[in-house]
Amino acid sequence: MPAEYSRRAVLGQIALGGALATAGPAGHAFAALDDRPWFFLTDNEARWLAAIVDVFIPADEYPSATQAGVVDYIDFQMATHYGKGARLYLQEPFSQGAPEQGYQAPCPPAELLRRGIAAALAEGDVTAQDAAGRERYVQAMSEAQGNIDDSDVPVGTFFTELLSLTNEGCFADPIYMGNNAYAGWEMVGFPGAHAYYLSFVDKHNRPFDKPPMGIAHGEYPHTFPRIVGGS
Amino acid sequence: MAPTTLPRTDVLIIGGGWTGLTAAYELAHAGQRCVILERGEHRHDATSFAGPEEHDEMKYAIRHHHMVDVTKETLTFRNDRGQQALPMRRLGSFLPGSGLGGAGIHWNGQLWRALPSDLEMRTHYENRYGSQFIPEDLSVQDWGVTYDELEPHYDFFEQICGAAGYAGNLQGERRDGGNVFEGPRSQDYPNPAMKQPISNTLFGRSAESMGLHPFPIPSANVTREYENPYGAKLHPCTYCGFCERFGCGYFAKADPIICVYDRVKEHENFEIRFESQVLRIEKSEDGQTATGALYLGPDGREYFQPADTICMNAYALWNVHLMLVSGLGKPYDPKTRTGVVGRNYAYQTIASVDAFFDDSVITNPFMGAGALGVVVDDYNGDNFDHSDLGFVGGGYIACKQYHGRPIGYQPVPEGTPRWGLEWKRAVRENYGHHGDIVVHGSSMPTPENYLDLDPTWTDAFGRPLLRMTFNFPDNDRRMSDYVMHRAVEIAENMEHVRSVKSTNLAAVGSNYNIVPYQTTHNTGGAVIGTDPATSAVNRYGQMWDHHNVFVFGACLFPQNLGYNPTGPLMGLAYWTLHHMKNDYLPNPRPLMDA
Ligand SMILES: Cc1cc2nc3c(=O)[nH]c(=O)nc-3n(C[C@H](O)[C@H](O)[C@H](O)COP(=O)(O)OP(=O)(O)OC[C@H]3O[C@@H](n4cnc5c(N)ncnc54)[C@H](O)[C@@H]3O)c2cc1C
Repeated sequence: MPAEYSRRAVLGQIALGGALATAGPAGHAFAALDDRPWFFLTDNEARWLAAIVDVFIPADEYPSATQAGVVDYIDFQMATHYGKGARLYLQEPFSQGAPEQGYQAPCPPAELLRRGIAAALAEGDVTAQDAAGRERYVQAMSEAQGNIDDSDVPVGTFFTELLSLTNEGCFADPIYMGNNAYAGWEMVGFPGAHAYYLSFVDKHNRPFDKPPMGIAHGEYPHTFPRIVGGS
Repeated sequence: MAPTTLPRTDVLIIGGGWTGLTAAYELAHAGQRCVILERGEHRHDATSFAGPEEHDEMKYAIRHHHMVDVTKETLTFRNDRGQQALPMRRLGSFLPGSGLGGAGIHWNGQLWRALPSDLEMRTHYENRYGSQFIPEDLSVQDWGVTYDELEPHYDFFEQICGAAGYAGNLQGERRDGGNVFEGPRSQDYPNPAMKQPISNTLFGRSAESMGLHPFPIPSANVTREYENPYGAKLHPCTYCGFCERFGCGYFAKADPIICVYDRVKEHENFEIRFESQVLRIEKSEDGQTATGALYLGPDGREYFQPADTICMNAYALWNVHLMLVSGLGKPYDPKTRTGVVGRNYAYQTIASVDAFFDDSVITNPFMGAGALGVVVDDYNGDNFDHSDLGFVGGGYIACKQYHGRPIGYQPVPEGTPRWGLEWKRAVRENYGHHGDIVVHGSSMPTPENYLDLDPTWTDAFGRPLLRMTFNFPDNDRRMSDYVMHRAVEIAENMEHVRSVKSTNLAAVGSNYNIVPYQTTHNTGGAVIGTDPATSAVNRYGQMWDHHNVFVFGACLFPQNLGYNPTGPLMGLAYWTLHHMKNDYLPNPRPLMDA
C-alpha cells in the first residue's frame, strides 16, 4: 500500500467546489481509517458512492454524507456480516414478486451493491457530472422500472438499499465508522447513550444541551471498529 | 442417527418467553417436573443488556440482533391465494424473539386488558346491533371465556410486571383520569403512572377539551422500587429511550427473565435447555395424545423428550407452524372453510398521525420509554356507537414518546422529499418538535386470511416454511380510516401545532406490506373457543384433538383486539394454568366434551 494513500483524497477527486477538502474536524474512526484502503470497495466504486450519497445528503451548514463518513460506513458494512448476507434468507428459488413481499434479490447486499454499481458505471460516469446532473441521475434511478444489468433484480431494490445505507451511515453510532464527529447526531440534537432522564422527562420545553456521547465515549481509535456479530 | 430418547418428564414446555417461563414457574411449584426447550441462547439483563453497549440502535433496532434469525426459521408471505407466496427474506413488519425471555425482553411494555365486550364479540354485536350487523365475510367469534373469569389473572400478571397506571374502573366505580371504558378492576395498578413529556401532555389536553377521556398508557416500565409476587425486585424506569427492540439493563422494564426466570431457575422441578430447537411433536398411536417432542440439541444431535403433558409456548406463529408440521389438530382449508389450525390469522391495523409543533415546544424525543404515552380509548372496541359506521372493531389513539433514535425517528411534514437538502433540513428542524400519534386498531378474521405450510421453501431444518396469506379486510380499512380521522382532529386541536400528517398502513386500495415494521402482534391460527369446528383449543387452552397439549399465546385470539396482546394473552395463560393445576393434572382428560 502506498504510504500516501488517503480515502479522502480518493473521494476528493470527485468533490464539487472543494467541499470535501474542507471537511472540518475529522474525528475518531474516520481519521484512523483514512490511510487504509477500503475493506470492500474499489476506489471507483467509492467515488461513485460518494457522488450518489452526497445527493441524498448534500452539504449545507451541516456535513454532507461523504463528510459524515457514509462511504466508510457502507464499505465496512459490505465487508462484514450484513454485506455478506447475515440474517438474510437466501434459499432458492428466487422470484421478484410484489413490492409488499420485500427483498427478493438472489444475493446478499455486498453483491447487490457491486453489481448495481458496475451496471451504473457501464452506462457512464456520474461522478463527472455537476451537482444538477447528479441530482437528475439519482432522481431517474429512483424512478427506474427496469432491472440492474441483465438480471431480474429491480433497480428499485438497489436504490432502496443505497438510501437506507446512507441514512444509517449518517446516524448510526460512530463505532460503525459513519456519523463522523457525531455529524448526524449534532444535526438533529440526539445526545447518544446518556440515557438517564428520570429527572428531566417532565421538565417541559427545556433544551437538553449535553454534547453527544456514543457507545465508545468518543474513545477512538483505541477501540477499533465493532463488527456486528455474524449470527 | 436415531434420536436419543431422554428420561420422561411431567411437563414439556416449548419456548422460554413470557408464557413458557410462567408455565414453568406455576407448574414447577405445583409439583410438576418441567423441562423447557428454548431454541435460542441464554442471556440475562444483568450481563447482556447493560448500557452503553445495549444502546446500539444499529445492532438491535436495525439489524435485529435480539430476534429470530430468518436464515434458520422464517415464513413465506402473499396477500391472497392467487399470488405465489415468497419467503420473508429479512425481518420487517414483525420481529419475533429468540433466546431466554423470548420477545418479552424487547417488548415495549404497553400492558392492556381486553374489554368485556371484546371477549364476547359476536354475541355482543348481535345483541346491540342485530344479527345481520357483522359483515358476512368476517369469521368473528366469541372467545368462550369472559372478562369476569379472566380478571383475577389479568390482575395477577399486572402485579408480576409491577404495572404503572391509574384505574378507570375500580370495582365498578368510574374514575376520571383512568380508562373509563375498561372492565372493572379488582384493585388499582401496583404502581403510579409514568411522568409525561410535553408532547403527550398536549395531546391529553387536546383530547380532554374535545370531551374525550385521556389517560396514561398502562405500563410495564416500572415507576418505583417494587417487588413482585414471585419476589423479583424491579427499579424505576430512567426513560432512556432504548426500550422496544432492546433489553433493559436497569431492571426497570418487566421482562420474563427478571420477573419469572430468576425466581424459578433454582427450583428442583425446573430445567431449561438452550439452543434446543423443537422440530416436531410426536403423537401416540391412536393420535389422541402427544408423547413428547423431537428436538435438535446444542451439539447438533437429535433428541426425543417424552412427556406426560406438553405446553406450546413458541409464540403465535411458531406454535401454529409446529402444529402443522406435527399433524396436531386439523389444518384449515380455505376452499372448504373447514379445519382449524391456521384459521383466523389476524394482525393489527396501524395508522400514524404526526403533529409538528412550533419551536416553542421542545420535546426531547430521546427521553422516552416503551409505554410512555397518553391515550384515548373512546374509539376502541365497541366503546362508541357503530350503528351507522359500516364496520366492527376500533382502536386506541395514543400519543407516545418511546424513542428518539436517529435512524428510526425522522418525522418530516407532508410533502417532504425522500432525500436532498429539503429533506435534510426537515429532519433536523422537526426532530425535537414532533408529537408521535398512533392508531392501534383491531383486526378481524376472514376465511381468506390464514396460515398453512409452504409447498416450496424450507427452513434450516428441512421443514416446510409456514405460509402466511393475509391482507386487511375492507372492514378494517374502514375502521382504521375512521379512527385515524378522529386522531387527526385531536392532533389539529393540539396547542402549538403547525401541521399534521397522517398515514394509514391499511388504507383503502393498498395492500398489507411485510416490509415496514408495524407490530409483533400476530394473532390467531389456533384459536380458543367452545366449538371444535371453529377452534383448535377449548376454552381452557387445551387442544380438542389431543388432550395433553395446552396452547399459549396470541394464536389463541379468535380476532385481534385493538390492544397490544401480552396482557390479554397472559391473562389467558394464567387461566389455563389455573385449570391445569386444579383440574387437569390431578385427572388428565378432555376438560370439555367435543
Ligand atoms: C418490538 C416488540 C415490541 C412489543 N411491544 C409490546 C407491547 O408494548 N405490549 C404488548 O402487549 N406486547 C408487545 N410485544 C409483543 C410481546 O413481545 C409478545 O406478545 C410476547 O412476547 C409473547 O409471549 P410468548 O411467550 O407467546 O412468545 P415469545 O416471547 O416470543 O417466546 C417464544 C419463545 O419460544 C421460542 N421458540 C419458538 N419456536 C421454538 C421451537 N421450535 N423450539 C424451541 N423454542 C422455540 C422462541 O425462541 C422464544 O424464546 C412486542 C413485541 C416486539 C417484538
